[in-house]
Amino acid sequence: MSEPPNHVVELREVQLAFPQKTVLDGVSLKVEPLDRLVIMGQSGSGKSTILRLILGILQPTSGEIFFKQFEITRLKRRKLQQVRMQIGMVYQYSALLSSRNVHDNIALPLEELTKKGTAEIDRIVDEKLELVGMSDSKNQMPSELSGGMRKRVSLARALVMDPELILFDEPSAGLDPVISSVIDELIISLSERSQVTSVIVTHEMESAFRVGTRMAMLYQGKIIEDAPPEEFKKSNDPVVRQFLSGSTEGPILEGSKDAVATK
Amino acid sequence: MPTRDQIHPGPNESLVNAPVEVVADVGQKSRAVLQEVGSMFWFTINTVSETLDRIRRGRVPFRAASFFRYTERAGVGSVPLVAMVSFFLGLTMALLTGYQLQRFGTERLVPGLVAIAFTRELGPLLTGIMLAARIGASFTAELGTMQVSEEVEAIEAMGIGPLRFLVAPRMLALFALMPCLSVISSAAAIVATALISRAYFNIAFVYFQDLVLHSLLMRDIITGILKSFMFGLLIGAIACYRGLTVKGGAAGVGTSTTSSVVTAITVVIGFDTLFNIVYIVFFP
Repeated sequence: MSEPPNHVVELREVQLAFPQKTVLDGVSLKVEPLDRLVIMGQSGSGKSTILRLILGILQPTSGEIFFKQFEITRLKRRKLQQVRMQIGMVYQYSALLSSRNVHDNIALPLEELTKKGTAEIDRIVDEKLELVGMSDSKNQMPSELSGGMRKRVSLARALVMDPELILFDEPSAGLDPVISSVIDELIISLSERSQVTSVIVTHEMESAFRVGTRMAMLYQGKIIEDAPPEEFKKSNDPVVRQFLSGSTEGPILEGSKDAVATK
Repeated sequence: MPTRDQIHPGPNESLVNAPVEVVADVGQKSRAVLQEVGSMFWFTINTVSETLDRIRRGRVPFRAASFFRYTERAGVGSVPLVAMVSFFLGLTMALLTGYQLQRFGTERLVPGLVAIAFTRELGPLLTGIMLAARIGASFTAELGTMQVSEEVEAIEAMGIGPLRFLVAPRMLALFALMPCLSVISSAAAIVATALISRAYFNIAFVYFQDLVLHSLLMRDIITGILKSFMFGLLIGAIACYRGLTVKGGAAGVGTSTTSSVVTAITVVIGFDTLFNIVYIVFFP
């Protein structure tokens, strides 16, 4: 077995193949402490899959995935659950429990995973709601909230265990540009204030460059570019260039069904 | 000049292959069923082990409030339905058997007949079928919707065991409440029989009580109770398994709910038959 790394997250030659399709084909990636790594790529390219692999919800076909010194794929159930407590995840559609109100949603990890009393749980929940600016909606049900509000509650829930790493799956998807910026700024301020490392999966350029301290491009199951935003913008890779410009001419659509549609 | 086979290769070939295809199809279906049974078995084992793991760490596996919410829904909420259906069935059974037995002057056998049939067999079975439809369906739909909207994955991602948190209280609620409901079912049927016996066969309530107590054996009651515990566990396991393995959005939830009810009812009746055969062969 190879040496455990000093990074927060490291993927080594990770492959994930299903009978019909190879999703990841040898992805290697390192996330340093306090990085805000943005993983970009086309829809369905396997970006969100990487987040699920880091959480141990999916198992890779081959390769190693480290969270700090822990090799996720080899952990037993109990240890894996303890590791997951140090990782927060914000889902694309928020994934709040629809039968619980905002307060109870955020309190859930504390109730289930810690021995804290009700008063302390309430205090922490209030504090996190304050951080995301949602103190007024404590008693509302998720169905009564707008998309942006739900995302903020989801962020508060991810923060409640004071994780070292937060994973964001398409944080600005389905939000208008203004709310999307608000969420981006929230991600930046929280990660600076709470000293957390973030991995953000998105295909929205503006949001990506606003939030990221490092950018990685996933294409055909491989990371083809991994650089700070300024360098990423100047990349000579034709795929990255086409992705940044949003042009229909270039290697991305070659031979795909979408290419036929544009002709 | 082409041969006959070359002109019409299709039908002949498909006729030759037909038996092979049928056997292959049966084989594949049986394998799928066995895989499903295996998955459900491991699902139950994992739920128990996740729950015990939590208890070993000195924590309550789930909140009492969440357990009682399900017992109230599954148990208390089902009392009117179970009591009413059993009452009507007891009534019908007493009437039909009574009229037949009256011809031989043995209508005093009716109270014992219905009492034994319900405590040992029909009470648990009817309750099982009703709960599979009423509660099994609702558990599958609820968990299925949570699965589709990524709520289950979110719970797992937090480090909370979804089997312990979502499945264990539901399964335990059905396991604990099923015997109570089957007692209610038997009691309702016996009350119905008492009324019919009094009204049509001139059996006074006191005499009815004597007849029932004399014909009922302790082992009938225990057998019925044991069976209902098992039915509760089976319905709970099938409903939750189907819910958590939903695939394909809203349509998937629908298909899984139907499948949950059908599977649970079939398994309950199948298990009951097996139980009766084993019981009668080994403990006559």
